[in-house]
Amino acid sequence: MSIQFPWITTIVLLPLLASFVIPVLPDKQGKTVRWYALGVGLVDFALMVYTAWQHYNFHSVEFQLTESYAWIPQLGLNWSVGVDGLSMPLVLLTGLVTTLSIFAGWKVKNKPRLFYFLMLVMYSAQLGVFVAKDILLFFINWELELVPVYLLIAIWGGAKRRYAATKFILYTALASIFILVVGLGMAFYGDTVTFDMEALSLKNYSLGFELLAYAGLLIAFGVKLPIFPLHTWLPDAHGEASAPVSMILAGVLLKMGGYALIRMNIEMLPSAHVYFAPAIAILGLVNIIYGALCAFGQTNLKRRLAYSSISHMGFVLLGIASFTDLGLNGAVLQMLSHGLIAASLFFLAGVTYDRTHTLMMDEMGGMGKAMPKTFALFTAGSLASLALPGMSGFVGEIMVFLGLVSSNAYNPTFKAVVIFLTAVGLILTPIYLLSMLRQVFYGTENPALTEEHQPFFDANPREIFITACLLLPIVGIGFYPNLVTQTYDAKTVQVSALLEHNLQSNATVIAQQRYPQYAEGSAAPPFSQMNSAKLLSVGNLNTLVNSDQHLM
Amino acid sequence: MMELLYQYVWLIPVLPLAGAVLVGLGLVTFNQTTNQLRRGSSIFMVSLVGAAMVMSFAILWSQIEGHASYTQMTEWVVAGNFHLRVGYTIDHLAAMMLTIVTTVALLVMIYTDGYMAHDPSYVRFYVYLSLFSSSMLGLVVSPNLVQIYIFWELVGMCSYLLIGFWYERKAAAAACQKAFVTNRVGDFGLLLGILALYWTTGSFEFDVIGDRLPALIQSGSLSVGLASLFAILVFLGPVAKSAQFPLHVWLPDAMEGPTPISALIHAATMVAAGVFLIARMFPVFEGLPAVMNVIAWTGAFTAFLGATIAITQNDIKKGLAYSTMSQLGYMVMAMGVGAYSAGLFHLMTHAYFKAMLFLGSGSVIHGMESVVGHDPALAQDMRLMGGLRKYMPVTAITFLIGTLAIAGIPPFAGFWSKDEILGAAFAANPALWAIGWLTAGITAFYMFRMYISTFEGEFRGHNYAIRQQLQTKKAQHQRLDDSHDDRKNHLKFPHESPLSMVLPLVILAIPSQLIGLVGTPYANYFEAFMTSSGKVIPDLLEHLEPSDWNEFLLMAGTSVAIALLGIILALFMYLKHEIDPSAIAHRIRPLYLLSLHKWYIDDLYNAVFVQNSRRLAEQVKAVDNTVVDGLVNLTGLVTLVFGEGLKYLESGRAQLYALLIFGAVLGLALLSSMT
Repeated sequence: MSIQFPWITTIVLLPLLASFVIPVLPDKQGKTVRWYALGVGLVDFALMVYTAWQHYNFHSVEFQLTESYAWIPQLGLNWSVGVDGLSMPLVLLTGLVTTLSIFAGWKVKNKPRLFYFLMLVMYSAQLGVFVAKDILLFFINWELELVPVYLLIAIWGGAKRRYAATKFILYTALASIFILVVGLGMAFYGDTVTFDMEALSLKNYSLGFELLAYAGLLIAFGVKLPIFPLHTWLPDAHGEASAPVSMILAGVLLKMGGYALIRMNIEMLPSAHVYFAPAIAILGLVNIIYGALCAFGQTNLKRRLAYSSISHMGFVLLGIASFTDLGLNGAVLQMLSHGLIAASLFFLAGVTYDRTHTLMMDEMGGMGKAMPKTFALFTAGSLASLALPGMSGFVGEIMVFLGLVSSNAYNPTFKAVVIFLTAVGLILTPIYLLSMLRQVFYGTENPALTEEHQPFFDANPREIFITACLLLPIVGIGFYPNLVTQTYDAKTVQVSALLEHNLQSNATVIAQQRYPQYAEGSAAPPFSQMNSAKLLSVGNLNTLVNSDQHLM
Repeated sequence: MMELLYQYVWLIPVLPLAGAVLVGLGLVTFNQTTNQLRRGSSIFMVSLVGAAMVMSFAILWSQIEGHASYTQMTEWVVAGNFHLRVGYTIDHLAAMMLTIVTTVALLVMIYTDGYMAHDPSYVRFYVYLSLFSSSMLGLVVSPNLVQIYIFWELVGMCSYLLIGFWYERKAAAAACQKAFVTNRVGDFGLLLGILALYWTTGSFEFDVIGDRLPALIQSGSLSVGLASLFAILVFLGPVAKSAQFPLHVWLPDAMEGPTPISALIHAATMVAAGVFLIARMFPVFEGLPAVMNVIAWTGAFTAFLGATIAITQNDIKKGLAYSTMSQLGYMVMAMGVGAYSAGLFHLMTHAYFKAMLFLGSGSVIHGMESVVGHDPALAQDMRLMGGLRKYMPVTAITFLIGTLAIAGIPPFAGFWSKDEILGAAFAANPALWAIGWLTAGITAFYMFRMYISTFEGEFRGHNYAIRQQLQTKKAQHQRLDDSHDDRKNHLKFPHESPLSMVLPLVILAIPSQLIGLVGTPYANYFEAFMTSSGKVIPDLLEHLEPSDWNEFLLMAGTSVAIALLGIILALFMYLKHEIDPSAIAHRIRPLYLLSLHKWYIDDLYNAVFVQNSRRLAEQVKAVDNTVVDGLVNLTGLVTLVFGEGLKYLESGRAQLYALLIFGAVLGLALLSSMT
């Protein structure tokens, strides 16, 4: 690798370093700091976009822009970062959502310096999680990110903020111990000691160890994603956090769970994934149905949205469990799409709360008349969330569905039951989202509400701008998904091929090893081969036959 | 020239979309300016739909001239070796649908200018109308099932937005949600069907599925039962969209939306999308007799159900809604008995005369509102109407034409299409024919009941006894839009609607009278066009079998006879008052109540689905709050171990604690990596 500018390190560290200036920044009217923080966010986001555009190859499956420096050589800890198809889209999502949430927190009056400081620290830590190539570095970032989140909830949250924040940190900190234990176990397994993720994925673990490690990581990431029954911190945290923090929680933090599941559980422990996948599919299904039912039962606006996040993240689990490139691609797309949609909905819930000073839906009503623009934007966000075609949520979900259908990892009955029940979730989603709109915006104005806060003012240009920045990519992906799916397709194809391979070698009788050349040693199939498989089916123009179809 | 036109077909849905997006963005960003440009925005959007209509007519003409079907696709999603394409396909069916949709949409949009003239959300209404037109046009040119599903949901969304257009009205809010959720139930089936068909055949394309499914069944790798199940799942989509039993409940409630959209969406186009999808899936359904039977019986039962409920409706729009449901039942039944072109023929004739009837009812409501005020409970109730022919003659005549057309009186449009369906039904199963035939009589009866009580006799709008009774009965129905009500002093009598509303009625009256003539049994141009594939029509006409005159006269005679019977009965009951309707109602009270309460289906659904789902959600929420949360928290353990820390936290300094945790974790990390 030739000497080049350390793009990734710059992107990750910029917000952190910039945050240290905040305490000494002169801030007379309380306006400098917020402009400063927003500026840092924008510059960093611009750097990401530039890097992705200029220095990143979307069609490669390898880690790119890698940098590795010994940090604490005594510990074997390296500052080792890089991006690939899995992390690059999520890095961009983080940049967009975090920058927008800084802009969303424009009106923070209580301790603004600390607020923006923490936002920037969190920015760096999130990026660090997505780009870390070293498992120890990953863990440090994972933990580092908890602190600002905890404080952001505990200081700027709602009435029950202390409880929510404590619950959040207890859950995630306890769960992350598993990452450390499993990570260390994997690092010291075998002859060589290494923290490098790529090297870890090449080690030959015994099946028993893999299963144990997988289970541990599943708990750690299951809390984050969240997976039923480890989800109960989420409604409290999302419900109590202020709007900008909720945006990041739902928009970025949950994706860490999904990302880490693919990065570690699948890429490093594929043989165990073969055993765990049916359970993950069922958990995904439970998330979808259970989350939707819980959401319908809520009367608090933000808690309803929080449970809808749980429901939607179930699709990520299903995609991960599908063993197909289509399903995995759908899972990644669902993460991106949910990040955008949930961020916009939580932001709009905050906009509404600013006016009504209540989150209880039964105390609202008829606000469409006073706030038509908020109403329109909220409707757009809800429709996106209920997977309306033309918006990104639909594409992610239909890809997961199709991935599951074309999967040959499960027997038809299991598949049929899972798909059927998942589709039931599609009926439940509009029920709770549309009844939310109905209770908040439709009907006649609630007299109790209007007496107190007359008159409501509609969304201001800043608020419309923030929502528009989120809705634009939502609609863009919905109209032309290729725009985004192509940026990481090579990677998801590689990962699913790895799974396919493990699935095959796992079967007791293997008539023909499908990809014999990388049965041993290399976990990464040569890309050229995947590409030729793709080209073959391009020739088959009108029929959309999946090569994995055995029914024909 | 023609090739160029076909290359630009995508403009047909995109033009109205562009209009909707531009003006919609204007509404969000420069709300006041956009709203001030009322006419400007509406003329802009109407002309875009007009342009789409011109293109559609050109396409139809070239298809009639025998142009081959045309498909254009582009990659939409690529994941690994999975490729999904979207695009458009133009064949005879698509060309016909394009023409119907654009003409009705254009006329409805012109009509809207008059109907919504005083509404503060005039521009928003046009945006939604444009958006709907775009989605509907995209639906009819869809080349595969996934794209159908995409636009299928999009038209559902537009329907949702338009039903809930007057969002201050509680009834509208409930109705739009009901419509969306009921349609989602259908879409759930449709999606499962699409997935299942993809799983078995590996394709989303109609012809490919139609080819491969029978091959799979023949080779024994797929059982007929399973294939039929998949097809029925797909059929669930049309069941919801076309308001077939048991998913019909949303359509009557959808009348809460402004009348122009009842005409466009809930009579002429969107609800017919279900029939369109059955037509598209015909190659698949055809080979599965069980599925065809289900389709036919669903249609027949819905036709009967809708007609029986329509008899007792007093709200003019609700009456028309049940009639729409019933007519859609005819179309679906036609499809089920294999009468592909007859079903589509009825779709076409119905689109025109029902759009006209709805627009006519809107004109009536518009006139009534100037007398009784903007209260749907009063303005739409036929008990307050009567004698309106004197005040609104054009509306009355066009409404009468529509009534004759739907009643099946020759030579009006509905006669030819309905007769063709009944003929086909008789050939397939006399029981189906009998239901259809009986329904035809009921249709003629309730439609004339509607016409007479609206336009004939004396004006009852000043009967305050009835008014008061209606108002107390439907107090919850009140539309609380005072900006509307205080505006003007009420007139003594209704007036004829403005030109922009009357003109579409008059234009629609032409196809309502004449369009049936393209499908007469002796020269069935329509069938020749629908069943041929790109050949010149006169050639085909020669090959058509000459129809059996005796059979035709017998069939037509019996259906006209029962229609006349229904009309005469209605005349005696409502015009001459020689038979007292309430006495009959009293005599057959259980049946009367059954009809009045819509066969109790809504009540049943409310008790079984709505209440139980709420209860379930409550229970799950309770479980989540206590059991799951409690278990995972390991309440006992956690309180023991962390109790002290928590207590400290609640009172103490959170920052410090977090730093402690962070420090501890980092220390742990360092420590463990050292060893």
